[in-house]
Amino acid sequence: MTTKHFSEAELLETYYMQPGESMPVMMHLAACGDCAERYKRLERKLREAAACPTKPATFWAFQRGSIMRRVEAKRRETVRGPRTWRVAAAAMLAFFLGGAVVYETVRPVVKPAAEAAAATQITATAAVAPEVTADPWQSDELQDFHAVVQWESWVNEKDSKRESSL
Amino acid sequence: MGSVAAFRLSQIDQSAPTDRELIERTLAGDGGAFALLVERFQRKIYRVAHAIVRDDMEADTITQDTFIQAYTHLGRFEGRSELETWLTRIAINRSRDWLRRRRFVSLFAHIDDGDEVYLEPVDDRPDPEREIMSRQLRTAIERAERRLSAQQKIIFRLRHYEDRPLEEIADLLGLRAGTVRAHLFRAVHKIRKELAGWMNRRQDDSDDHQAL
Repeated sequence: MTTKHFSEAELLETYYMQPGESMPVMMHLAACGDCAERYKRLERKLREAAACPTKPATFWAFQRGSIMRRVEAKRRETVRGPRTWRVAAAAMLAFFLGGAVVYETVRPVVKPAAEAAAATQITATAAVAPEVTADPWQSDELQDFHAVVQWESWVNEKDSKRESSL
Repeated sequence: MGSVAAFRLSQIDQSAPTDRELIERTLAGDGGAFALLVERFQRKIYRVAHAIVRDDMEADTITQDTFIQAYTHLGRFEGRSELETWLTRIAINRSRDWLRRRRFVSLFAHIDDGDEVYLEPVDDRPDPEREIMSRQLRTAIERAERRLSAQQKIIFRLRHYEDRPLEEIADLLGLRAGTVRAHLFRAVHKIRKELAGWMNRRQDDSDDHQAL
């Protein structure tokens, strides 16, 4: 037997470190009634200090109710989640379908590239050289001068006939 | 008479649905089955959480969160371990998160929850002196425990407040038994160092009192 008595701190360490029969402290405790009594007191105190507070049945019922309310909310959330996604997907699909229909309705006529190029060239030519009619005399701008010109033409024609007779 | 009672008890036990059955019913949408699971394990989970965080309200919150998390991921529970073990692991992880958060917050704010409580023996409880001693010791231990890391705290508290064997703690934390033992050894040394000071002071007070 170890003659040395152990301090409370050493007894504490023994308590905490899973005491085995072979430990010197335990061997001492087996033989020393005083230390054994102190160890027991310490053990009792530590157990009391460590004890989880006892709760009434109402506490557990309240806790259970609280958990179940949260579980129910979670369940509703998991049901609502996919539904929200489905609604969002349907809305997106409707949007794109509507867009496609509108696009098809007011679709701009797209000409083939060669035709478009030719049209562009013609337009450019027209812009550079305005179209000249075959007989300018027949144009609207010269309509008012027809009488005068005809008279002058007549005189000229007479003179030319005379000259030719000479 | 005793045998009849035993027979009735065994009948009740056999008729009680197993954890697996309750899980399957819960997954099939039976909320009542999950309520039974909660009732079955809420005390144990609360005790584990309380042993680690040492706070009534936080233990309650952690217990609730543990069951909500378990419900959310119940489909992933493969049954390789017992449901109780699985729930305990969740509770330990949540408690660890809380301890770490608390430690982080304490870097910026002084959290003073460890002043020693000296109760006067004013009532007629059987042993008020012992009650005071117990409270003082608890406060001293809590103060000493603040020196421990989150992992050391969890191991120390599961071992001494929950009385769990080292092998079980190792299993719950996913560590080797040797690692758990080393953590516990370091934790106990720190605690012992802190408590030695408290005991010396108490011894001095007691000597002074006797001298008077």
